[in-house]
Amino acid sequence: MAKKPRVALIVGSGSVKCAAALGLWKALDRAGIPIDMLVGCSGGSLYTSTMALGFSLDECISYTKALWNEKVTAEKNWKALLGMVFPKLFKFDHHFGMISDRQMMKNLRQVFGNKTFQDAKIPLTIMTTDFYTGEQVPLTSGSIVDAIRASIAIPFIWGAHQVGDRFLIDGAASDPMPVDIAIKEGAEVILAMGFQAPLPSKVRSVSRYAFHVNGIMTNNLYQSNFAFHNAVHHAEIIPIFPQFDRSIRLFDTDQIPYVIEQGEKAAEEQMPYIQKLLNS
Amino acid sequence: MKKNLSIVIGSGSILCAASLGLMKALKRENIQPDLLVGCSGGSLYAAALALGYDPNTIHEMTVDMYKNDIVEGYTSNLRAAMSGETRFNESSGLVDDKILMERLQSIFDEKTFADTTIPLYIVATDFYSGEEVVLSSGRIVDAARASSAIPMIFPPWTINGRLLVDGAVCNPLPVDVAIKEGGDVIIAIGFELPIRRRMNSYTAVTTHFNSLYMNNILKSTFAFYNAVHHAEIIPVLPKFEKQIGGFDHHQLPYIIDQGEKAAEEQLPYLKKLLEN
Repeated sequence: MAKKPRVALIVGSGSVKCAAALGLWKALDRAGIPIDMLVGCSGGSLYTSTMALGFSLDECISYTKALWNEKVTAEKNWKALLGMVFPKLFKFDHHFGMISDRQMMKNLRQVFGNKTFQDAKIPLTIMTTDFYTGEQVPLTSGSIVDAIRASIAIPFIWGAHQVGDRFLIDGAASDPMPVDIAIKEGAEVILAMGFQAPLPSKVRSVSRYAFHVNGIMTNNLYQSNFAFHNAVHHAEIIPIFPQFDRSIRLFDTDQIPYVIEQGEKAAEEQMPYIQKLLNS
Repeated sequence: MKKNLSIVIGSGSILCAASLGLMKALKRENIQPDLLVGCSGGSLYAAALALGYDPNTIHEMTVDMYKNDIVEGYTSNLRAAMSGETRFNESSGLVDDKILMERLQSIFDEKTFADTTIPLYIVATDFYSGEEVVLSSGRIVDAARASSAIPMIFPPWTINGRLLVDGAVCNPLPVDVAIKEGGDVIIAIGFELPIRRRMNSYTAVTTHFNSLYMNNILKSTFAFYNAVHHAEIIPVLPKFEKQIGGFDHHQLPYIIDQGEKAAEEQLPYLKKLLEN
């Protein structure tokens, strides 16, 4: 009998939309398809971590609500905000972010505690970006909390996070849907779940403007990376792109049930093909 | 049959002057481009070459263009926008574009794409959707202005009812345009934006994030075009050992030299391709 193909699941950046990964997980679980490798980026790092650590689906849903709510953005980083107006008085460096990360760190610690990549039952990679060089920095060891905090450091919102001697930010700045990791690791079947950043049609402030430009660049990088990986890679990459008929923004946690449903729907559509690949 | 030689000049503000070095090297070999594509700072050089300006004129144009006054006022404008004193929306910029427009006007006047002796394409980005917008008609001034609308610094520019920004936001080295227009041999001169370790304002942080993204998009799109395109793409990537700011006009001779050097390295290969 031929060797069983190794299945990788990639969950790309997409803030709260990444919860669609839970729907995908449901569908895979029902079909009895095990995952051999997980790769997460930005919001996707939360769900790949919970899956890798073996949390149950119900736990994951309740954790999402605990992790990702308005509270984590409520505490402004006043130093950064003042610095924007009076640049001479404040330092601008990798710490720059408009929101304090205190609540975020507290929430992450509540869910992941002191868990490390070694505790993962399924090999896990979390994608981040070097703040100074823009290079991809995939993390595969150390504290899960630190890795997630770095991977979700959305430019302008949260400052960079130090891991080892590097300052790391949002993986979306270098690799929004890191299919390349699964390619390098030799996965035969790659399930790639990705999302485009929502674009506002109205821009009313300097920070919204900067945020908008970031969003369109993330989308362009996402598209060109994916086009490249599809062009050069000859194993199977199965795109799972949930469709949302409404706009889902950074902290629309009340939309989570809908998001999960759409993820499940998108996965179901690909299921016959996935099954065929795994059974051939 | 003669092969179509296309030259694509990518974004890179003043670094794009390295394309003058490339043109020097090509001229010495009597090699003429058949098609020109420009993005952002590269659009100025592509347009000037397409219009048949001589190298000295283009050199002077560069010296004149990149003086510090072109970004004057951003600190105070930023403060006013942050404190809510002035409004900031999708058509705003932190720098008044009056000087930039005057300079573009003095270089290109009322010339249009129809006046070029070599077909010219300029790449900009749709502000709302982030899509690539390829310009090939109308006034050169408008196209160059839209293509070089550095996000947040210069206001976006409207052409045919579409709000456009810097081409580097979608495609810093638009090799795809040359591929689509039938380039058999494509010289792609591209630049990674300089990354600074020190930042002293919100604008510097913004510029830094933009640079990280643009460099990553440059690498990713270029890798893709190389992977899928089977004609010849010759990368000309000048190396700069010193830190060059966006407006370091005193570095011009060095920039042009490095462009020439990078082109020289590829010349034997280019000649071979054109001869076959």
